[in-house]
Amino acid sequence: MPVFKTPFNGYSVKFSPFYESRIAVATAQNFGILGNGRLHVLDLNPAGPISEHIAFDTADGVYDVSWSESHDSLLVAAIADGSVKLYDLALPPTSNPIRSFHEHTREVHSADYNPVRRDSFLTSSWDDTSKLWTLDRPTSVRTFKEHAYCVYSSVWNPRHGDVFASASGDCTVRIWDVREPGSTMIIPAHDFEVLSCDWNKYDDCCIATASVDKSIRVWDVRSYRTPVSVLNGHGYAVRKVKFSPHRQGLLASCSYDMTVCLWDYMLEDALVGRYDHHTEFAVGIDMSVLVEGLLASTGWDELVYVWQHGTDPRAP
Amino acid sequence: MEKAINRQKVLLHHLRPSSSLPSHDSSLSASACLAGDSAAYQRSSVFGDDVVIVAAYRTALCKSKRGGFKDTHPDDLLAPVLKALIEKTNLNPSEVGDIIVGSVLGPGSQRASECRMAAFYAGFPETVPVRTVNRQCSSGLQAVADVAAAIKAGFYDIGIGAGLESMTANPMAWEGSVNPKVKMFEQAKNCLLPMGITSENVAHRFGVTREQQDQAAVESHRKAAAATASGRFKDEIIPVSTKLVDPKTGEEKSFTVSVDDGIRPNASLADLAKLKPVFKKDGSTTAGNASQVSDGAGAVLLMKRSVAIKKGLPILGVFRTFAAVGVDPAIMGVGPAVAIPAAVKAAGLELDDIDLFEINEAFASQFVYCRNKLELDPEKINVNGGAMAIGHPLGATGARCVATLLHEMKRRGKDCRFGVISMCIGTGMGAAAVFERGDVADELCNARKVDNHNLLSKDCL
Repeated sequence: MPVFKTPFNGYSVKFSPFYESRIAVATAQNFGILGNGRLHVLDLNPAGPISEHIAFDTADGVYDVSWSESHDSLLVAAIADGSVKLYDLALPPTSNPIRSFHEHTREVHSADYNPVRRDSFLTSSWDDTSKLWTLDRPTSVRTFKEHAYCVYSSVWNPRHGDVFASASGDCTVRIWDVREPGSTMIIPAHDFEVLSCDWNKYDDCCIATASVDKSIRVWDVRSYRTPVSVLNGHGYAVRKVKFSPHRQGLLASCSYDMTVCLWDYMLEDALVGRYDHHTEFAVGIDMSVLVEGLLASTGWDELVYVWQHGTDPRAP
Repeated sequence: MEKAINRQKVLLHHLRPSSSLPSHDSSLSASACLAGDSAAYQRSSVFGDDVVIVAAYRTALCKSKRGGFKDTHPDDLLAPVLKALIEKTNLNPSEVGDIIVGSVLGPGSQRASECRMAAFYAGFPETVPVRTVNRQCSSGLQAVADVAAAIKAGFYDIGIGAGLESMTANPMAWEGSVNPKVKMFEQAKNCLLPMGITSENVAHRFGVTREQQDQAAVESHRKAAAATASGRFKDEIIPVSTKLVDPKTGEEKSFTVSVDDGIRPNASLADLAKLKPVFKKDGSTTAGNASQVSDGAGAVLLMKRSVAIKKGLPILGVFRTFAAVGVDPAIMGVGPAVAIPAAVKAAGLELDDIDLFEINEAFASQFVYCRNKLELDPEKINVNGGAMAIGHPLGATGARCVATLLHEMKRRGKDCRFGVISMCIGTGMGAAAVFERGDVADELCNARKVDNHNLLSKDCL
């Protein structure tokens, strides 16, 4: 399957919810520590290499990207300089970004578009907050400030348009309802920083968390004293975790140990697959909603891989 | 900058969870990241801004005044290798940003003009500039390093580093008078010592025996003869069509030079032992255990990796680091013993990580000294012979070594990852450069063998 070389180090990859052959990749120069960023939109060609549809340059690293659920050409980018930028692929690079929101005081680390209400999105930042935004307002709708350290990701619940979870370096995951004044639940998920979380797409009470302690834990938010399952197997901190849109038990993860792993937490032998195609930290992973089993990953080796689960991503 | 430090701190906490809650006042200390085989964390990815070598060629090296190039103009030595670079890579010559030629003995301005003319003979358009560089015996390597530095600096993306020397046309000589002030400066005075005397000094001061020196010379000839016989130099040598003039009849004969003509396959210890010392009555440096006086040229095509990938050119090697150092002029031959550790350290490597060395054999005395001083494995040094057998056309030697080293690394395959080129420099200096094998860190389509089928759940097996 194809591979694409980006000039900067990869940070995040997302499949378009509208086109099965389109992906967005967030990259940052010098491992995101110093320098510029670039947002790539790539097209997969059935026979042949991945081609670049368009790319946008930014003054600081791009840490994450999220496709709009309402418009096929809209993208939200989380930028390391604290800004949140909106891009419209239908417009030329010179007229982009169409919006730039400057509210976060530190690096923005994640962006997630609301898949249910489709009118709003969440960002989370190293300034310890998450923020809720809509396209039609110049400022954020709400700021969620309870975490005591960097918030690495916040993700919407796939069933309830008002509920989301946030994962933080303060070792907790918090569940929020945007209609409530404070967080509705605090899960002390790990003994070390929590770098990522995701909701199960078939069970609206089930979330997975990924941590610096090298493990992934699956929780039922109704009884969060003990995890439903603990998935061990990564050799270093787990950077991202993502539930499959097609199978209830399946989830994908990527880690500082440079591998991408697939798990089925319902199986006794949970590790379903391990891919070691990256030669640097693997930090971005996504599963296609439109094509079952299609995976994409990116990492600090400046490469983007797209492959079908069960095949070798490196195979030409 | 504070922002960058804070970012490093956050990311470092992901890798080193020192406490359950990250403490904000902990001082940051990332350990030095070794890139070598010995490193716990091996960096092996493709970086677009690496400076890579896509082609390196040389002429055969011929004995000066008696060999195949005795009637060849210096510019006619350089032009064929420059031409080979663009012909073999199908590169558009107008894309080359600069040509830098290392050359030592030719008169400065005249040599610069000859190099410019050679570029025209080779088919380069007038838009491609040319300059020369002179760092004595390391000029060829210095030219390659200069091009690599200029590419790194962003002056241009594609450049040629070359070396040229015709010791027939320009023998070693001092022009004009010597400043009498030199007598008051011991080190300046030592710069005037004949190179052979510095060799005697090294042998004397570090106790390198005549036997050790002759043995090194025999080895050099043996290895060079074996390399020639098995055609190992075929990949790097560009045949040069030239003419020979018969000194008696004045008759001109055209022919092609494609083999080094100084190699003596049956050199033996007994034969070498008969030779008389040249520089000192009771000395140990003879014509047999010193480098040969030769004519020749070499050229190396360098570019940014991203450009090479775009053009689909093979990547022969990656230019990692270069170091030039100064040593006592009276024992200038010890240069490599100081320069090699400096360059290797700058690459984040250790001497053990280096799989292949090309150390110029200016004299057997200094070559043996440097080998022993650094405790290098003789099996890794000058595996295809060195300057005592092949020849040492001063300014061309560096470029010649790049061609020899990289083609040998290519032959040896993946186990041969890092190579070093080094030489001593007259007036007391040393230079060294570290190269990495190209395809270790290469190839976008990096399909590898799957050792165990771990893509499936164990339930399936």
